[in-house]
Amino acid sequence: MKCHVPGANVKVLGRTVHALARFGDELYLESLPDCILLRTLNAAESAYAMVKFNKSFFSYFNYNYFSTEDNEGLKCKISMKSALNTFKSPTHMDKQVENLEIKLDPESCKLIFQLKCKHGIVKTHYISILDCKAMQAVYTKDLVPNRITSPQRILSEALGNFQSSDDQVTLEATTQSLVLRNYLDTNLDLLKIIRTQISLKPAEFDSYTIGEETTITFTLKEFKALLAFAEALNLPLQLHFETTGRPAVFIVHNGTTFEAHFVLATSKADNATQATSTQNTTRTKRKDSSVQDSARKKPHLATDISKCLDEDSHLFNFIDIPENNSINVENNGPFKSSVNGAANQLEIENNNLNDIMDCDNIPGSPTSKTMIKSVFKRCFESTFDPRAIHGVVLAENSDSE
Amino acid sequence: MKFRSVMIDAGPMREFANIVTTISKLSKECVLRIAEDKLYFIVSDDNNAPAPPILWCEIPQTMFFSEYQMVGLDDDHKDIYLGFGAANLARSLVTLKSAKSLKMKLTKKQCPCLTLEIEMPSSTSQQTRHVTHDIPVVVIPRKMWADFHEPKTPEPDISIELPPLKQLRTTIDRMRTMASEVVLRASAEGRLTLQIKTDMAKVSTRFKDLRVEAFGGPIDHSDSETETQVNEDTSRVCYCRVDTKKLSIFLSADQISHNRTVCSIVHKRLVILCLQTEENVKLQCFISGIVY
Repeated sequence: MKCHVPGANVKVLGRTVHALARFGDELYLESLPDCILLRTLNAAESAYAMVKFNKSFFSYFNYNYFSTEDNEGLKCKISMKSALNTFKSPTHMDKQVENLEIKLDPESCKLIFQLKCKHGIVKTHYISILDCKAMQAVYTKDLVPNRITSPQRILSEALGNFQSSDDQVTLEATTQSLVLRNYLDTNLDLLKIIRTQISLKPAEFDSYTIGEETTITFTLKEFKALLAFAEALNLPLQLHFETTGRPAVFIVHNGTTFEAHFVLATSKADNATQATSTQNTTRTKRKDSSVQDSARKKPHLATDISKCLDEDSHLFNFIDIPENNSINVENNGPFKSSVNGAANQLEIENNNLNDIMDCDNIPGSPTSKTMIKSVFKRCFESTFDPRAIHGVVLAENSDSE
Repeated sequence: MKFRSVMIDAGPMREFANIVTTISKLSKECVLRIAEDKLYFIVSDDNNAPAPPILWCEIPQTMFFSEYQMVGLDDDHKDIYLGFGAANLARSLVTLKSAKSLKMKLTKKQCPCLTLEIEMPSSTSQQTRHVTHDIPVVVIPRKMWADFHEPKTPEPDISIELPPLKQLRTTIDRMRTMASEVVLRASAEGRLTLQIKTDMAKVSTRFKDLRVEAFGGPIDHSDSETETQVNEDTSRVCYCRVDTKKLSIFLSADQISHNRTVCSIVHKRLVILCLQTEENVKLQCFISGIVY
C-alpha cells in the first residue's frame, strides 16, 4: 500500500492520531481497496475508536502498490507513541508539510511515513510493526432509538462546568431535556465531592431524537478527547445510543473523505446521584473490573447471573487473548450480525461470561486508580462477607516458602 | 434552617466570584456565616483550628442579592454557620462571569449541600442552560460558633492607606523569592517601608505621601533593635515583621475591584489589612507579627 496525503489533510490525520492517542496505546492500521482504517482500543477495553479515510482523502492511493497476491487487505499494529512522534504538532502541520507519503510493504517490518516539508526538508519515520493482525469491535449505530446531532461546542462547553477530578459522566436523555451529571463513585467520600448537573434543552441541538428515554454513564477522558477532535475539525458530533449497558457511538464525519466512530462502553448509573441516596450499591462498571466481579460472583452465580447480564456492558464480546499478549480478534459467525434480538444477545453474553469464569489466566489487573482503591475498600465495608471470597485465589504466593 | 438567595446582576456576580477565588487561595477550608443582613466568609488558621480567624469578609446582602431569605437555627440564634472547602465553591463559580443568574440555597441531598443553580446563556441559540452544583457542607453546631466570632484586636498604633495593590504585590512577590519575612514599617508622616534582609543584601522599598488615617501616639522603642534613619523621629514610626507569603496571598485580592485598602499595624504584634469595595464588602486579613 502506498498513498499520499496532501498538506491540508495531514492536519486532519494528525488530529486523528492525537485523538486516538487519548484512547489507546496501540494503533491498528488496515488498508482496504478503497480506504484506510485506523483503530484503537483502550486498555480497559471500554473505549474503541475507528477512523476511516476514504480514497478521496488522499491525492494518490494505490492499494496494490507492492502487488501482493492476496486481497485480504494489509494490516498492521504500531505503538501509539511512535505514531504520535510523526504528528507532533498538528496545529502547524498544514503550514509546514506539503505532502505525506505512507508506505506499507507486506514483506517489510516497518511502516514508513515520509513528510515532505517546505524548503525541501524530508522527514522519514520508520515505525516498527508490532503485529500484523487487525481488531474490530461490533456495535450498532444505525438501528438505535436515540440520536442526537450536536454542534461541536455545546457539549464541550457543558463539560467545562465539571471539575477536573471527575472521571465519568452520566447522561440522562429524555424528550424534554438532556441532563449531564458527574458520576459519583460510591467508594469516594460524598462529603468531598461536588455534584454537578447540567440540563440542556433539545432546541440547542441540530437534531434530537429520543426514542427510548435512558440514562447512560461513560468515561469523561475519552469523551473529552473526541469532543476536542470534533471541535478541532469544526464538525458536528452525532451521538447514537441505546440503553444502559449497550455501547454509545459518537460519529464525526465530513461526508466525503473521512468518518470517525468513537465507541464507549456504558454502564448503569447506580443511585448515588443527585436524585436518591444509597451507600452500598453494587456496581458493575467498565470491564476492567471483571477480576473483582468474577471473584465476587462465583459463589452465588445462579442468583446473580441475570443481574450481571443486565448490567455488564459487553462491547467486545469476542476478544480472546493468546499467550503472546497480542489481541487476536476473530469475527465469529453469529456475532457478525450485530443487531441481535435481545435473547440472542443474552446468550452471547452468557457464553462470554462463562468464558471468564472458566478462564485460568485471570485478566490483567485493573489499571485505574479508583479501581484499586475500590478493591481494597470493599474489605472495610459493613456488608463485607469474608465467606464470599473464600477459596478464590486471585494471585498465588509467588514464593513457596 | 433555611437559606435561599438569588443574584441577577452581572457586576455583583463577578465580584462574588472574585471574592470567593481570593478566599480559596488563602485557605482550604472556610466558614460561611449567613446572617439576616450580611454574609460572612471566615477563615481560621489551617494548622490550629480553634484560633481567632485570619480572614474576615463581610458581604452586605442587599448590594448583591435580589432575593434573600433565611431562617436561622432558632429565634435566639438567627444565623447559619456552614463549613466547606473554599476551592469547591470557587471552582463552581468560575463560570459565573458569563452567567445570567445565580441561585444559592441550602439543601439536604444525602448530606447538607449548598446548591448553586447557575443559568448560563447558550453560545449558539437563545436558549439558556441550567447548571446545578451541589457543594457538600458541614453545618457547624452552635457550641462552636464562638470560634468564628469577629476577632478582637488591640487598638492599632497606626492606620495607613496602602498604595495600589498591584504595585505592592509585584514588590512583595519579588521579595518573597528572597526572604520569608518582611518588615512593614509605617510612619505618621505617611511613609511605608517594606524591608527584607538576606545574608547577601538588604532590600527596602519605600512608599511616601500615603494618607495616615489614625496614629495612636508615640511608640516606645526602648526595648528594640530598631535601626533609625538619620532624620526620623522614631517615636512616630511603628513596625511589624510578618510572613512574606501570607502578605503576598492577601495582595492577590487586587482582583476584587476595591476602592481603598488600609493597613493597620499594632506595633510589633499584628498587621491588619482591610480592603473595602464600592459595594461595602469588607475583607480583613489578620497577620500576626513574628517576634524573636
